[in-house]
Amino acid sequence: MRKFQSTAKNPILMGVGLNRVRSVIVPCWVMMSTLFGPVGMADQALMKEHCFDCHSADKTKGKFELSFLGDGPDVDNLERWLDCLDLVTAEEMPPEDDSHLAAPDREKIIAYLDEKVRAFEKSANLTSSPKPRRLNNREFANGVRDVLLLEDIGTNLPMDNLIGDALHHGFDTHGDTLSFSRFHLEQYVEAVRKVVDATVFSGERPESKRYEIPAERIFRQQLSQNNSRAIEKGENGVFDFLDPKLAGYFPDFEEAPASGRYSIKISCMGKDRGIYDVEETGYYHDDPVQLSVHMGDRVKTFDLPDEKVIELELDEWIDAGTRVEMHFPTDAYTIRGNGNFKFQYGITPTHLKKYDPERYDELVSAIEKSPGRNKRKRIDTWHNWTDYWMGARPQVFSVEIEGPLYEAWPPKRQVALLGDSPVAANAADILRPIANRAWRRPVKDGELEKIVDMVKEEAKTMGDIVALKEGIVAVLVSPAFLMANLEANEPASRFASKLSFFLESTIPDQELRDEVGAGKLDSFEAVQKLIQSEIEKGTADTFLREFPFAWLELNDINFMGPDPEHYRFYHKKRLSEDMVDEVLEFFRYAVTENRPVPELLSADYSFINADLAKIYGVEDVPGDSKFRRYTFKDGRRGGLLGMGAFLTSTADSLATSPIHRAVYVMENMMGIHPTPPPPNVVIKEPDVRKASTIKEILAAHVSDENCASCHEAIDPWGYAFENFDPTGAWRDVYVVPVILETDENGDPIPSKKKDVTIPIDSSAKFRNGFKYQDITEFRNEILTDTNRDRFVKCFIEKLLTYANGAEPEESDFVAIDDILTKSAEHDYRIVETIAAVVNSPLFRGK
Amino acid sequence: MKTDRRNFIKGLGGALTLPFLESTAFAGQKSATRFLVVGNPFGMHPEHFFPKDFGKDFTVSRTLKSLDWVKDRTTVLSHTDHNMVSGHGREVAFLSGVLPTDAQAFPEKNMSVDQAVARHTGAQVRYPSLNVGLNSGVRMSWTANGVENELITDPEKLFDHLFLNLTEKEKEQRRQMLSRNGSILDTVGDQFADVIKNGSKSDAERIDQYQTSVRELEATLANRTHWIGLDKPEFDISDHYSGEVTIENEYNAIFDMISFAFETDLTRVATVAFPTNLGYTDVPGVTRSYHGCTHNGKMEDVTDELVAIESFQVQQLSRCMQKLDSIPEPNAEGSMLDHTVVLFGSGMGYGGTHSNRDLPIFVAGGGFKHLGHVDTRNDAGENMPLCNLYLTLMQRFGMERDEFNISTGAFDLSYA
Repeated sequence: MRKFQSTAKNPILMGVGLNRVRSVIVPCWVMMSTLFGPVGMADQALMKEHCFDCHSADKTKGKFELSFLGDGPDVDNLERWLDCLDLVTAEEMPPEDDSHLAAPDREKIIAYLDEKVRAFEKSANLTSSPKPRRLNNREFANGVRDVLLLEDIGTNLPMDNLIGDALHHGFDTHGDTLSFSRFHLEQYVEAVRKVVDATVFSGERPESKRYEIPAERIFRQQLSQNNSRAIEKGENGVFDFLDPKLAGYFPDFEEAPASGRYSIKISCMGKDRGIYDVEETGYYHDDPVQLSVHMGDRVKTFDLPDEKVIELELDEWIDAGTRVEMHFPTDAYTIRGNGNFKFQYGITPTHLKKYDPERYDELVSAIEKSPGRNKRKRIDTWHNWTDYWMGARPQVFSVEIEGPLYEAWPPKRQVALLGDSPVAANAADILRPIANRAWRRPVKDGELEKIVDMVKEEAKTMGDIVALKEGIVAVLVSPAFLMANLEANEPASRFASKLSFFLESTIPDQELRDEVGAGKLDSFEAVQKLIQSEIEKGTADTFLREFPFAWLELNDINFMGPDPEHYRFYHKKRLSEDMVDEVLEFFRYAVTENRPVPELLSADYSFINADLAKIYGVEDVPGDSKFRRYTFKDGRRGGLLGMGAFLTSTADSLATSPIHRAVYVMENMMGIHPTPPPPNVVIKEPDVRKASTIKEILAAHVSDENCASCHEAIDPWGYAFENFDPTGAWRDVYVVPVILETDENGDPIPSKKKDVTIPIDSSAKFRNGFKYQDITEFRNEILTDTNRDRFVKCFIEKLLTYANGAEPEESDFVAIDDILTKSAEHDYRIVETIAAVVNSPLFRGK
Repeated sequence: MKTDRRNFIKGLGGALTLPFLESTAFAGQKSATRFLVVGNPFGMHPEHFFPKDFGKDFTVSRTLKSLDWVKDRTTVLSHTDHNMVSGHGREVAFLSGVLPTDAQAFPEKNMSVDQAVARHTGAQVRYPSLNVGLNSGVRMSWTANGVENELITDPEKLFDHLFLNLTEKEKEQRRQMLSRNGSILDTVGDQFADVIKNGSKSDAERIDQYQTSVRELEATLANRTHWIGLDKPEFDISDHYSGEVTIENEYNAIFDMISFAFETDLTRVATVAFPTNLGYTDVPGVTRSYHGCTHNGKMEDVTDELVAIESFQVQQLSRCMQKLDSIPEPNAEGSMLDHTVVLFGSGMGYGGTHSNRDLPIFVAGGGFKHLGHVDTRNDAGENMPLCNLYLTLMQRFGMERDEFNISTGAFDLSYA
């Protein structure tokens, strides 16, 4: 059973997934004297002088004894050595308060530790080689598409039955997490068969038909529990989109009768844009009215002109059984009440009273005279105004669908796959190129034999075409297709595959395989050029989206979303989607402009739209939903650490936790993995109803010396963000909120109870003596050379995790350091850093 | 609308001989074997649902009156929720704690607890789960892909699904498909067999995983081919339609079929979803619509109607539980009820206030050491996430897991 990775949410679980076992070590300092050869003698004495007071068997601060370092680095204690190296380099050890280690002495210790680690790694030759892994669902779908030479896998949702992939710290490429079971296998068979069935036809060419659909034959989808209500449909020649949650569908064309091309024409326009106030509707005046056509999971969206009828034309391959629907894509019309659309009708009287009182009076008297109105209700209540809506929306007047249409029969794509003579006798020749693509390598002698035999056998009873289709299914459910990074493959095939899955999440094309085969991608420069060109061509878009999404664990953003009663705007305007988009826009910019990696943290800019501007408290942005680069002038935001995505996903619903934020920054930015608290520690949950600050609560916890030694290292990474509330908005004080009751419309009932406010202290001090007062100071000074290297290294490790399906091992330290050096040679430019990762033995394999 | 109840049920208990057990039973099984979930769309009138006192010896409330007989095998949970904002539409998260719109944030999407259990128990039976409504039903059962399970909303269709045998032609088609899958597995199963044999270290482990999957799937294909060939158990539905068609008769038919499906091991997981739009007017004392009754403005007569509807829902379940309790569990101690986890509740607290806090929940049977009426709040006075209970129920089925969606731990309910 798959488990949910709760990551930083639960401090007890923090780091559990890291498989970092702190092994039991020889518990005796005395041994040390025999360990270090003449080279290390002086440095050993230095370490003893500066470390032993706190890290002996008597006093194991941070649960570390110097003796843990044992007889020099070995497989078991290597991580200890690396931790020491990291902490001494960062001047966090020895802590500033307790010891005064002169700079030259520190250098000596660093050099000593570094040399020991490198010598060990060289002799042990431990560079890890990741295990093969199952393709995840994205890669599987893309792979099937490309093996079968299709534009996409089809609109009949063939992958819908696949079991969702579990994530490992955000990564959906993690080998140990991607389980394989008979359920997976069976669902692969079903899914592939569904795609193949929609690609290869064995029957007669289906008749084409024209469907002329007037507005009156466009029905509104019923989503309510109450299905006894009459079906709503277009009237008087217009199908009007009111509630954006409801789609328009066609009872005369419930679903595509056969797979083929369909021509769809929609006569429509944008209506009533810019009438109601943005504050009432959440609809920005500068956002065009849009209409989306959904064909299964394929969506095409169009901007509609205002008050001018146009005809949209679509020419699409649609698979049998696909439902065609029209949607009004917007996050607006949820501000009033609990967000249900009906409450928005109440905007009309508010608007008219303000801008057109005459019309208001006119309508009020009409409403009062009309029969059946519920007179007991206030006149302005939404019930009375359902006929007078003037919100921006699309209107559709008629639709015409024609199809299925084919340029030839059998269709071209079928011939491309099966050739001109699709008979079982040719099975080997037909299946070989398909298997060559699917298996990402030349097919070996005899390898197809069993499948070809099956095709020939099945052909006797099912006919040639159906039997060939079974053969294709077999090729696509074989382990050579379903498993990535198989060692049994030649190094060239493996590298081409890996590169293609890394950048495009799909199988490599022949061109890439040829280039790799001819040794054209053997150098750093060649790899750099290839990545650069893929980014420019847009073929690396998958990477630009999937990698930051995994690395920054964006999937978790609503795992514990802000409280819906208290942070209504966040939920009503679906801010989490904007926050995720902000990260992706920012990352895409950084890569396409090839900015230095550290700028991801140090940037004073980001990409925001009007909704995010509202959360971030900035006003000089255009009023629409488009993302634009924005430079923050207050020194508080910009880059990944100022983003709502980080600040929200690390907060609880009503309160923030400096610990969660600190652990996120340490794990995902600094590559530091704090030790989880021992299981018997009871951590008091912050109680937002009481007037105490998180700092006071933590102070009590940290008064225990055992807790203190770790928290001294963790907490300063988090306090800086205390001025950001659970949605990432700025606050000067903590507010202990009064949660309002709601009335029958879901609107809050005003109350005289007042929120309590408490001042925020966002200052902290690191163990190395660096102090900061607030976020501005933190941001200005945090990126020291050490922390810059930590961040770039962490970025490298995350890239390797994404590519290899496994986190790098401690023993990869030297190879990672080499990548860092290469990156530094190129001013840490992102593209060169990625190229250095791809060119590393950690990516290429031995 | 009173019909002769005795005549009505006769077709089941009396006329039938020992039912043919579909699967190879569960000798010596310690976990619970079956799961019955009943949900409604509007929650329950709290003052009448929640007992006034706590503990094992609680006083059965008005709405729960029909459970008096099984009080010592029932746990009523006060103060649970999914931390949802008020309003309709959140009840779809009853069994998962996750709204469909938030499903992408969870690896198991908004999979409901019944489906999680069905995935665990389903491989051994003909139907992994059965999702039933009447006319329609509150949406509550969702797959691991966030797809809503289609409800069978007509007792006759339920009968066809459970008890009608396929035609020979249909059987032949099914067999053919299974055999085709078998052939495919046969051709791919031993690709890389030499890799394993020659011990290429890191490949071997994952390819072995693949091959195990092939073998296991092949075994179930054989098993399913076996199901196709076997006729389903016989169930006489005629008596259920001899009287007046009332919703009580229809629910009787539905619940009787479910208990018979349990008894013959056709399935081990069933959900019954009460709808919003059913006419309850043949329940004594009810004249208004269900939804209308929830907005009663605290008027006593309307509230009484609501309580009558809600009591009716509990009665239907209670009757089914009685039936399960009359059947001895095959190959184990106790009655079938003692091996069937029964869950009743709603994802809405109470329709009248649109509150989605303090959900009306009870658990019965399943061999738990029941607690009577429990206040689940923690020391800080916070409600317990309902997912904590679901985690406990899953563990009861022998599922080794320690989290379910927004759970913060397991609800403490032990079993013998």
